[in-house]
Amino acid sequence: TICFCFISVALKRMLNFNAPPLKNTAAEPVWKVLIYDRFGQDIISPLLSVKELRDMGITLHLLLHSDRDPIPDVPAVYFVMPTEENIDRICQDLRNQLYESYYLNFISAISRSKLEDIASAALAANAVSLVTKVFDQYLNFITLEDDMFILCHQNKELISYHAINRADLQDTDMEAIMDTIVDSLFCFFVTLGAVPIIRCPRGNAAEMVAVKLDKKLRENLRDARNSLFTGDSMAAGQFSFQRPLFVLADRNVDMATPLHHTWTYQALIHDVLDFHLNRVMMEEGAGAEPSPAGARPKKKSRKTYDLTAADKFWQKHKGSPFPEVAESVQEELDTYRAQEDEVKRLKSIMGLEGEDEGAISMLSDNTAKLTSAMSSLPELLEKKRLIDLHTNVATAVLDHIKSRKLDVYFEYEEKLMSKSTLDKSLLDIISDPDAGTSEDKMRLFLIFYITAQLAPSESDLEQYKKALTDAGCDLSPLNYIKQWKAFTKMAATPANYGNSGVKPMGLFSRVMNTGSQFVMEGVKNLVLKQHVSLYAETDDYRYFDPKMLRGSESSIPRNKNPFQEAIVFVVGGGNYIEYQNLVDYTKVLHKCTQLLLVCVFSVQTGKEGHLRMQ
Amino acid sequence: MAVDITLLFKASVKTVKTRNKAIGIGFDSTKDEIFKRSRPKGGFSPKAKEVITNITKLKEFLLQHRKDYVSAGSLISSDLTRMTDSERDQIDQDAQIFMRTCSEAIKQLRNEAEKQVMSAQIKEHRGAVLDLVEMYLKGVCKIYSEQRAIRVKRMFEQENQRLISEMNSLVDEVKQIEGKVVEISRLQEIFAEKVLQQETEIDSIHQLVVGATENVKEGNEDIREAIKNNAGFRVWILFFLVMCSFSLLFLDWYDS
Repeated sequence: TICFCFISVALKRMLNFNAPPLKNTAAEPVWKVLIYDRFGQDIISPLLSVKELRDMGITLHLLLHSDRDPIPDVPAVYFVMPTEENIDRICQDLRNQLYESYYLNFISAISRSKLEDIASAALAANAVSLVTKVFDQYLNFITLEDDMFILCHQNKELISYHAINRADLQDTDMEAIMDTIVDSLFCFFVTLGAVPIIRCPRGNAAEMVAVKLDKKLRENLRDARNSLFTGDSMAAGQFSFQRPLFVLADRNVDMATPLHHTWTYQALIHDVLDFHLNRVMMEEGAGAEPSPAGARPKKKSRKTYDLTAADKFWQKHKGSPFPEVAESVQEELDTYRAQEDEVKRLKSIMGLEGEDEGAISMLSDNTAKLTSAMSSLPELLEKKRLIDLHTNVATAVLDHIKSRKLDVYFEYEEKLMSKSTLDKSLLDIISDPDAGTSEDKMRLFLIFYITAQLAPSESDLEQYKKALTDAGCDLSPLNYIKQWKAFTKMAATPANYGNSGVKPMGLFSRVMNTGSQFVMEGVKNLVLKQHVSLYAETDDYRYFDPKMLRGSESSIPRNKNPFQEAIVFVVGGGNYIEYQNLVDYTKVLHKCTQLLLVCVFSVQTGKEGHLRMQ
Repeated sequence: MAVDITLLFKASVKTVKTRNKAIGIGFDSTKDEIFKRSRPKGGFSPKAKEVITNITKLKEFLLQHRKDYVSAGSLISSDLTRMTDSERDQIDQDAQIFMRTCSEAIKQLRNEAEKQVMSAQIKEHRGAVLDLVEMYLKGVCKIYSEQRAIRVKRMFEQENQRLISEMNSLVDEVKQIEGKVVEISRLQEIFAEKVLQQETEIDSIHQLVVGATENVKEGNEDIREAIKNNAGFRVWILFFLVMCSFSLLFLDWYDS
C-alpha cells in the first residue's frame, strides 16, 4: 500500500542527487540548494518539514520565479513542472551561471522539444557538463494523508467541479481539463507501479477520464522500450501482486455530501478554518483563549499549524466526532501535567540530597528515574506543543460551532439525508438570525432540495426563497441545483443516503463537570453512525483493463479475483466526509477481506467552491 | 517511479549541436571556459570542505580505535590489543583538541562570512552550510563522548570493585581483631577471678600477720618489762644482800 513514507522516500532520493540516501547517520554533509515552483512546493510541503530539508543538506529552498543570486559553489536541485515559463527560467539560470551543477527533476514528463530547448541553452552557456542529471519524477499529485491524495492545489479552479460542469464549457476546454487530470492520475499509477483495472459509470465526465486514462496506460504499455511498468522499474515486492481497482465516480451523482455540514475533527477544520495542504492558518487572539493573562490586548497575529503524520493525537482523532476530540485533548493535558509533576518531584528530591538520610537511599532509584525523565523531556515538550496546538485549533472550531450553531445544522441535515422525522421546520432555521451564516443556510436549503422526494410547491418555494434572501443569500446556486436535479432524475437512480442515524446524547454536562476548557453547553453531543453514501450499482459500470488487448467490451475476460487495493476518484472533487466514510467503511471490511483503500480527489471542494456554480 | 532521462538529454544536446552546425551557429567554447575558470571561487566552500574532511578524519580515527578503546580485555585477547589507560587518555586528549580546533575553525568561518558583504541568499546559504558542518561535528563528538562514557563508567565500576575489595579486607581484619579481643577479655576474666580468690587469702594472711606483729610487739613489751622487772629485782636482791651483809657486820660488831 502506498504510504506517506514511500513518496517522501522518493523525494528524499531525489534530493540526494537521485541516489538512495545512506543509512549512516553520521555521514558527511553535502549541501545543495532546492529550487521549486509552486507545484513542487505543494507536493513537498505536506511531506517534508523545513527541518527535514535542512537535515538533508538543503541550505536554501527558493521559488523558481524569484530573484536568485548566484551561488557558484553549490549544486542545485530543481523540482518543477515542465511548463514553458519554467523552462525559460531554467535556461536563464544556465546562462547566468548561478550554480555549480544542476540536477533537473520534472514533476511530470517533459516533452522532447522542451528538453532540446534546455540543451541549446546549456550549449550556449557552455554548461552542458554542469547539467549532471535530468529526471522525470512522475509525482504530479499531492499526498495529504497516508491514504489520500489530491491532484493539485495551485490552479485547482481549472479542474474544479465548476470548471467541468459550467454551461459555457467548450470542447477544447474540456479536453485540456481531462488531459490535466489524466496526467496526474497517470503519474500516480507510475509511482504506484501498478496498472489498475478501471471501473467507471457511463455518460459523464468520469467516463471521459476513464477512457483517456485507459488509452494513455495502454500506449505506454505497448511501447516496450519506454514502458514505465516493466518489472525492473516497478518497486518489486513493494505492492501486492494483485492489480488494484480504480473506481471513478462523478461528483454529479451526489451533490448533498459536499454541502453537508461536518462533525468530525478533520472535516470540521477543513470546513470552518483555513486549512490547506495539512496546514491550518488561524488568527491568534480571535478565539476565546482561557488564559489568565489579565488585561492583555487581543492582538491578531496569524499563526500556522502543521498537522502531520508524526502528530499521534491528530492521527488518532482526525476522524473522531468533535466532542470526543475535546475530551481527548483534556485527557492528554491531564496526562501531560501528571508527567510534568513527576519530573518536578524528582528534581526536588535531587535537591534534598545530603539533607535527608532517607533520600540518599532512594537516590540510586531516582537517578535512573531522573535519567529517563530527562531523556523523555524533549518528548514531553513536543507533547506540550501538540496539546497547545490542538487546544487552540479545537477552541477555534468550537467558537465557530457555537456562534453558527453548526451542531443544529449537522443534526438537521443528517435527518434530511436519512429521511427521518424532522423536529423543526426548515423555515425556522433559515429565518433564525442567530443560527449560521447565509452560506450555512444556503447549504442547508440545498440539501433539503436535493433530498426531497417531491419538489416543494411553488408557494413553499417562494417562502423559502424570501427567507433566504432576507438572510442575505444569493439564489444562483439554487437555480443550478434545480437544473441538476432535473437532469439526474432523468439519468440514473438517485443516491441513497443509506441508513445513517443521529443519536443526540443529551447535553454535555459530563464535559462541563470535568472542568474542561471546552465548555460545550447547549451544544448537542451528536454521535455519528455509519453514513455511507452509496453510489449507483456498479454492475453497469464500464470495465477497462489497459493490459488486455482491445476487443469488444463484452468479450473482455473480467478479473474475477477479489481486489486487495482500491482507489476511489471523484471527478469534480471529493471531500473529507466521504474520505472519512470510506476509511471507516474499510475498517469494518478490513476484518474480513483485507481491502485496502486509497482515496484520490481531484480537488477538495472548499465551501466557496460549492456556491460558485452558474 | 522516477525515470532517468539524462542520456536523453545528452542525446538532445548532440542533436542541437548538429543542428547548429548545420545552420552555422558555433559557440566559442574555449573563451567561455577561460571565463568560467577565472570566476573567483571564493575561499568559503573549500575551507568548509576542509573542515569536513578533518572531522571525517577524526571520526575514522575514533571508529578505528573504538574496539580497542572500549574493550575491557577478555582473557582470550592478547595484551597487544589491549589499550593501557595512558593510551586512552592520550586519545581522549587528542580528540578533544581536535574537536576544539574544528569548532574554532567553524566559528572563524562564521565570523568571516558575517564580515564579508554579500547578498542575503548567499549569507543564508553559508549560515546553513556552517550549521550542517556543526551538526556533523556534534555527531562525531557524540561518538567520542559515548566511548568516553563507557570508559568512565567502566572506570567507576573498577573503582567500585576496588573499594569493595578493600572494604572486604578491612572487614576481615576487623573480625580477626574482634576475635582476639574476645579472647583477651576472657582471659582477663579468669585473671580477675583468681585475683579475687587470692584477695581473701591475702586478707587472712594480712590479718594473721597483723596479729602476729601485735603479739610480737606485746611479747617484746613483756620481755622488756620482764627485763626491767628482772633488773629491778636484782637491784633489790643486791640491796638486800648488801644490807644483810652490813647488818651482819653490825651485828657482828655489836656483839664483839
